[in-house]
Amino acid sequence: MREMEIETETGNLEKEERIKAEVVGKLGDKVEKVEIPRERRMFIYVKRKESFKDVVKFLKDWLGIIHVSAITGLDVGDKFEVLYHLFSYGKEKEGVEVTVKVSLPKTDPKIDSIVDLLPGAVLYERENHDMFGIVPEGHPDLRPLLLPDDWAETGGHPLRKDWVEEKEKEKEKEKEKEGRGE
Amino acid sequence: MPKVTIPVGPQHPALKEPINFMVSVDGETIVDADMNLAYSHRGIEKLAESKTYLQNIYLVERICGICSHTHTTCFVQGVEELMGIEVPERGLYIRTLVAELERIHSHLLWTGVAGHEIGFDTLFMYTWRDRELALDLLEMITGNRVNYGINTIGGVRRNIKAGMKDQILKHIGKLEERVQYYTDMATTESTVLLRAEGVGHLPENEARKFCAVGPTARASNIPTDVRKEDPYAAYEELDFELITSDSCDILGRLIVRMQEMVESCKMARQLIENLPSGPIRAPMSREVPAGEVVSRYEAPRGECLYYVKSNGTFYPERLKVRASTYANWPAVVYSLKGYYIADIPLIIAAIDPCMSCTSRVAILDTKDGNERKVLDMDYLRTYGIKWYKEHGRGVRRR
Repeated sequence: MREMEIETETGNLEKEERIKAEVVGKLGDKVEKVEIPRERRMFIYVKRKESFKDVVKFLKDWLGIIHVSAITGLDVGDKFEVLYHLFSYGKEKEGVEVTVKVSLPKTDPKIDSIVDLLPGAVLYERENHDMFGIVPEGHPDLRPLLLPDDWAETGGHPLRKDWVEEKEKEKEKEKEKEGRGE
Repeated sequence: MPKVTIPVGPQHPALKEPINFMVSVDGETIVDADMNLAYSHRGIEKLAESKTYLQNIYLVERICGICSHTHTTCFVQGVEELMGIEVPERGLYIRTLVAELERIHSHLLWTGVAGHEIGFDTLFMYTWRDRELALDLLEMITGNRVNYGINTIGGVRRNIKAGMKDQILKHIGKLEERVQYYTDMATTESTVLLRAEGVGHLPENEARKFCAVGPTARASNIPTDVRKEDPYAAYEELDFELITSDSCDILGRLIVRMQEMVESCKMARQLIENLPSGPIRAPMSREVPAGEVVSRYEAPRGECLYYVKSNGTFYPERLKVRASTYANWPAVVYSLKGYYIADIPLIIAAIDPCMSCTSRVAILDTKDGNERKVLDMDYLRTYGIKWYKEHGRGVRRR
C-alpha cells in the first residue's frame, strides 16, 4: 500500500525536498549526499566527522529539529557508522524523520558530543559508548549505562562484530588444550 | 548540612521491575537524582544478529510483555518496507485492532498501578478487573493473552472469523462504559487529586529538551503522536483525536491516558465495523534485499523506533531498538527534583516505565548455587525432551 502511495503521490515528497534543498544549499560541501527513501524519511550523509556537529546545529537552528529519537551505532568492517535519528515535529503527517549518518575510523572512534545542543541525546551517547566504544567528546558523564557494574574493563564492547564472549574464549582455549592432549 | 543520598531500588521502586535511583535529599525534598538501569540487560540486539528475520519476530516480541505487539509491528513493518511487500488491507486492520486493544489493556494496567502507588487500591482492583475484558478480546483474536504472536512479515497469522464481530463489539461497548467512568472519576476523586495534582511537574520546554515521548510528552502539551504525524498500518483511515493536556503534572498524564482509552475504543469500533474482506497476508520470501530502514510506532508509552539494516541474507546485519521508556528517563530525573520522597514511586510510575524495554540486552543466566549456568538452545532442547518423557503422557491426555 505504502509503495503505491509513493509512486502515485510523488507530490507528497515536497517537504522532504524542501529540507534537502535547504541542507544542500546552506551546508554544501559538508554533506556528501541526501537520500529520500520514502515519504517522511531522510538520510543525510555527512562527509567528514569534524563537520558533523555543524550539520546538527544547522538542523536545530534553521529547521527547528530538536527531537532525538535514538542514536544507532554500526560496525561496518573497517569503520564505525553512527546514525542520529532526529525528528522534526509537524502538524498531521508533516513530521520528517531525518537520519544523520557519520563514519568514524575504528582506530580513533571519537566524535563530538551533541548533548550541549540536544540534551535528549545524553543516554543514547552513553549507550553507544558501552556497546561500541564510540567516545562522544565533551559528554558530561560516561559511566557504563547498560552493561553490568562488574563488567570487566577488558570485557570489550559487545555490539562490535569482532567481540567474542568471555565464556566462548574459554571454551576455545579448552578445545585447544584437548586438541594438544590428543 | 551534608548532602544525604538514599538509594531507591533496584528492588522495584515503582513497578515490579528493577531500576535504581540514587536520590539526594535535603530533608524531605529531592534535590538531585541519578539512575542505574543496567539490571535487566539481555543482549537482544546482539542475539538478533544471529537469528533469521522470521525468528526475530518472536524474539522482539519478548522484549516486553505488555507492549509485545508494539515491537513485532515496528519490526515487521520495517522488514516489509525493505522487501517492498504490500500488506493486504485486512491484515493492516487486524494489526491495528490488536494494537489499540493492547493500548487499552496497557493503559488500564497503568491506571491500576498508579492507583496502587497513590494508596487507592480500590482503583487498582477495578481497573485490573476491567482489563480482563481487553485481554479476553486479545485472547479471542490472537489466541494469547500476552505475546500475541499475531504478526508475521507480510501481514497477520490469524483471521477474525464472522462470529467474533458481535462479541468484540459487545466487549468494546462494555469497555467504553468503564473507561468513561474512570475518566470522570480521575478528574473529580479527591484522593487522586491530592496525590497527583501539581506533582512531577514537567514544563513543555523541558519535555521538548529531554525528548520526552508518548503520554508523558502529550501531558506537557506537546502534540506528538506517531499515529498522526507519521501514520502507519491503518491509522490514516481512522478518525481519532490527539489528546493533550496543559497541566504538565501527573494528573495530566492520568487524564491523557484515560481519554486515549476512549479514543482507542472508538478506533477499535471503526476498525471492526469497516473491516475489509480479502486475504490477511501477502506471500514473502525468506531473503531480505540489502538496505536500511527506520520504522516508527506509537506504543502505549510513546514513540518506539526500530532501525533494521540488512545485508541481503536471511539474517539482519543490525537491529536497533529504542523503546519508549528509555526516551523518558531524562524527563523523570528532571521531574523528581523539588518533590517529596513519598512522591518518588508515583513520579517514576507516571511514565509507565518498562525496564525490560529500556535495557533489552545479554545472555540467559541462571544462578545455580555459586555456579553460573548458561541455558543454551541445546540444553533447553534436551531438557524439554527429558521433561516430556517424564510428564508427557499426562500432558497429552489432558
